[in-house]
Amino acid sequence: MRTNTHFAFFDEGSKKEIRRATLKAVAIPGYQVPFASREMPIARGWGTGGLQLTLSLIGKTDVLKVIDQGADESVNAVSIKKLVQETTGVQVTDQTEEADLIQSRHRIPEIPLTKDQILVLQVPMPEPLRPVEAREYATKRMHSEDDYSGAWLMLFEQIVKYGKTATAADHPVYVNGRYVMAPSPIPRFDNPKMHQSEALILLGAGREKKIYAVPPYTAVESLAFEDYPFAVESFEGQECRLCGSAHVFLDELIDQKTGETVYQCNDTSYCMEQLNSTEKAEVESSYA
Amino acid sequence: MAIDQIHDLQQVYRKLLHSMSRPGTISSIEQETKQVDINFGCADSFILSAMVLLDAEVTFHVLSKDRQNLIEKISNYTSARFASVKEADFILVLQEDEESDVLEAMAQCKIGNLIDPQQSATWIIESAVLSNEDALVLTGPGIETAAHLSTGQSFRFWQARDSRIKEYPMGIDMIFADSSSQIACLPRTVSAIPMEVK
Repeated sequence: MRTNTHFAFFDEGSKKEIRRATLKAVAIPGYQVPFASREMPIARGWGTGGLQLTLSLIGKTDVLKVIDQGADESVNAVSIKKLVQETTGVQVTDQTEEADLIQSRHRIPEIPLTKDQILVLQVPMPEPLRPVEAREYATKRMHSEDDYSGAWLMLFEQIVKYGKTATAADHPVYVNGRYVMAPSPIPRFDNPKMHQSEALILLGAGREKKIYAVPPYTAVESLAFEDYPFAVESFEGQECRLCGSAHVFLDELIDQKTGETVYQCNDTSYCMEQLNSTEKAEVESSYA
Repeated sequence: MAIDQIHDLQQVYRKLLHSMSRPGTISSIEQETKQVDINFGCADSFILSAMVLLDAEVTFHVLSKDRQNLIEKISNYTSARFASVKEADFILVLQEDEESDVLEAMAQCKIGNLIDPQQSATWIIESAVLSNEDALVLTGPGIETAAHLSTGQSFRFWQARDSRIKEYPMGIDMIFADSSSQIACLPRTVSAIPMEVK
């Protein structure tokens, strides 16, 4: 038997609860607002926080894009897109500019977002202080007291051990000069995109039952020391082997045949767009 | 036609979110207010803002003493419970309310605590026609440089608000709704400075 699901999967009561938490999150930038994370048809820890935010936001006229580590066509992105599309009937897209709702796992798209877009990030570990303190009531108290020595100590220990801050992703940030926040496991390369962003950024952690937000035009500063300034991943001298883009976040791959290290755009829709624009030029020139 | 509890309220929510994340931005919910076919005796945009956020899990307070009727209607439509000003999650203020009552409620309403700053009251205020005239200068997160907003509230109102948001992250958030189907929001992070009286 196939029953019709309610629009956007949730009952209206669930949506209201998530919406109230979201508005509070926007009003207190970087603060993790607890919410009653619902059971979803995908496992907790696989983007249920982001999915719940998306379902509470989405309307009939929205255009949705879902990305998983930069790719529009990987399993997590495709499953989430299918679920949302089947329960709402909205249009989905791969093009960053076309979408007004973008749900993403661990990347912020290369194309700058606009004021008419909302970025929803999936968060596995919303608590930046969790590695130093396991108790929730203790970390909540630390946030209330603006006590972030744990986060600083973590970075300091990395410098002592490795000579630099060794956060591969999820490098903690100060939001609006008050709360230290986990920006979700985006590469450091994407941290500066959160600073004074034009789009609203919402972050949802389903398993940990937290929603938090970075409103547009809000100061987002990556934690760093004066003598060890914050630095993004560097791909100096490298470019995408497919489209030739430089100054984007590149994946490092090993060519199976030659054993050579090659680089490729992480944002697949951006890469495709670059390729399409050059292809078109070729076709036009050969026709002429 | 009656309000569509799913799609109309979703649209209103998105406008609320847009205005809350961009303080001073006035959003129009004219399409949705057209659908309101019951007379609540207050602005349709005001009642819609309440409908989006209220349900059986939260409490509300109506300031006006002689509006039992409105309390009942809101309870019936949303299943939200009436509570005292000190406990209410949402405080609903009508344009007819006395300023002294508003100021008193502002001093008493909950602002959360340092551990749970989200346990604070959200104010939904029926206001004079909203405009971007420079009655108030707004600065803070969500605003690129500065924004201007006019809501018709007095200097004393803004003073009272200031005294409740100075212990950030504790504070109150405000939603203004007018009779021309417009809404604007002021989260606690935003500083609102009234300009000189003209």
